[in-house]
Amino acid sequence: MFDIIIRSVTQRKVRSGLTISGIALGIFALVVMGGMSENFNQTFENSMSLTSDKIRVFAESGMFGGGLTDDKVPDVKRVPGVKDAYGILLTTFDEDQMGMSGKQIFALPPEKSRIALKPVKLKAGRFLEPGDTYQVLVGTSIAGEYDLQIGSKLEIHDKNFTTVGILEYTGSFFDSTAAIPLETAQDIYDLEHSLSTIFAIPEEGIDADILAKRIELSVDGTSTLSPSELREQASQSLLIFSVITISSALLAAIIGGLSVMNTMLMSVTERTREFGILRAMGAETKDILLITLGEAALLGIIGGLAGIGTGSAAVYLLNLWLSGKGIILFAITPRLLVVALLFATVIGMLSGLYPAYRATKMSPMEALRYG
Amino acid sequence: MGDIILDVRDVSKTYMQGKIPVTALHDVTFSVEKGEFVAIMGPSGSGKSTLMGIVGCLEKPTAGAVIIDGVEVTSVSDRQLPRIRREKLGFVFQHYNLLNSLTALGNVDLAMRFSHVSRRERLERAETLLKKLGLGDRLNHRPTELSGGEQQRVSIARAMANWPAIILADEPTGEVDSKTRDAIVETFKLLRSRGQTIIVVTHDPDVAKNCDRVLRIVDGTIMDE
Repeated sequence: MFDIIIRSVTQRKVRSGLTISGIALGIFALVVMGGMSENFNQTFENSMSLTSDKIRVFAESGMFGGGLTDDKVPDVKRVPGVKDAYGILLTTFDEDQMGMSGKQIFALPPEKSRIALKPVKLKAGRFLEPGDTYQVLVGTSIAGEYDLQIGSKLEIHDKNFTTVGILEYTGSFFDSTAAIPLETAQDIYDLEHSLSTIFAIPEEGIDADILAKRIELSVDGTSTLSPSELREQASQSLLIFSVITISSALLAAIIGGLSVMNTMLMSVTERTREFGILRAMGAETKDILLITLGEAALLGIIGGLAGIGTGSAAVYLLNLWLSGKGIILFAITPRLLVVALLFATVIGMLSGLYPAYRATKMSPMEALRYG
Repeated sequence: MGDIILDVRDVSKTYMQGKIPVTALHDVTFSVEKGEFVAIMGPSGSGKSTLMGIVGCLEKPTAGAVIIDGVEVTSVSDRQLPRIRREKLGFVFQHYNLLNSLTALGNVDLAMRFSHVSRRERLERAETLLKKLGLGDRLNHRPTELSGGEQQRVSIARAMANWPAIILADEPTGEVDSKTRDAIVETFKLLRSRGQTIIVVTHDPDVAKNCDRVLRIVDGTIMDE
């Protein structure tokens, strides 16, 4: 029966080609948008795994409300179960782009840079060290975009910094991070003693969730986010992002599906007489269903493969182009490819259901008289 | 009297044309013996094609019974009808109704697709049939590359493919010239001589005169034999 299905698809080349293009376009959108969503998911997962051992301490008024100051660090450190604590200041790297590039300044006490960035390794140079002032440690994306080598100058907030270290690629937010000494940052941004967050590292065997509550109760004017709470909060934001990207891609794919339905309805109408002949020769309802649904599924599969091929190629080229600017925006994962192909097949078959139903409901006598 | 292969008893068929009932067949009764070559003749609109449709299990009568090779086909479920069409009947149509995308061999092969015959056997059988009908050098030609007479012989081979109890031919010579018509009639006679039962609906007296028996149908009723 498969040869009959293939014959039917290849016989009407232009129409099949147009339908396949419709599906391919939808799946192309699904792959590109899904690739973007997957990249965010991966970055999030990698970022989480790199910082999952730390509790975040904020001012009670929130991260951007101000109010968290240097003097809270010793208070946090004194809480039983806290192995170490240090304050950081987070701000945007591209002030003129209002942080849209995702690059950030990560200001921290130089002596803590090794602990704060653990387990990220160095690609070149060194971590920040006590005594550093206008020295910067950069992630691969920033290094790539500004073509930085050890010793290169990097302008941050109208000040020149010397690159002392470049981090290895992590697939996390560290790739888009420029780490500078905390005091220098507080000075140049005019934020004396201010902090965005205090990171608290729990002692071995201490439950981070319990310790987070303990810090909140022990240090006045603070609120905390344990790694599990952070994960939960961030997952929700990611979910919304995924829903928006994936649903727009689904819409495109559904439009592709409608073109399959249109094609199949035309095909079934055109082949009314052929179905009549097949029925007269003893074809059963399931044979007619198999032929029509098989054709729709085949259009879906070919369209899906074409969409995956072109989508992957586009993503590869975009990533290649963007990597020059230090950005990786898309990630093609096996699960994305499987979902895209399954979706194309299912949409093809679902779109073929109604035309197939129509084909099976034809009276053989009327079908033979048709045309 | 030989074995009865087709028994049509008091078959009536009424269609609704809007709200008006139209009687296409009225109490039609006749039987056909195994190996007979029977013609059904009658003017346009007399009910010939409706009768063929009912005998061919392509539609159901409003009343009456049709028994083919001992099976009362009018009382079996719709699900069983495809099997009866496969096993008991072979169709030859006026417009040949071959699939243009398939070769002569492929068209005959197609008829056996639904009967769970192995691919090898299907091709062997199709080739043998086509050769017997004088199309040995036309096996891989598509319908558009064949003459009308050749196309009709392919469709006869297709009707023969499942060794049916009855071949039903609806105006098989309606589209061909007299020479081709004679060739088709000769083919039917050849099949009849081998014991095949054939029922032909025709307008053409030259076809009918070659048959063992002629049933005349007028206004949905068999008038004489």
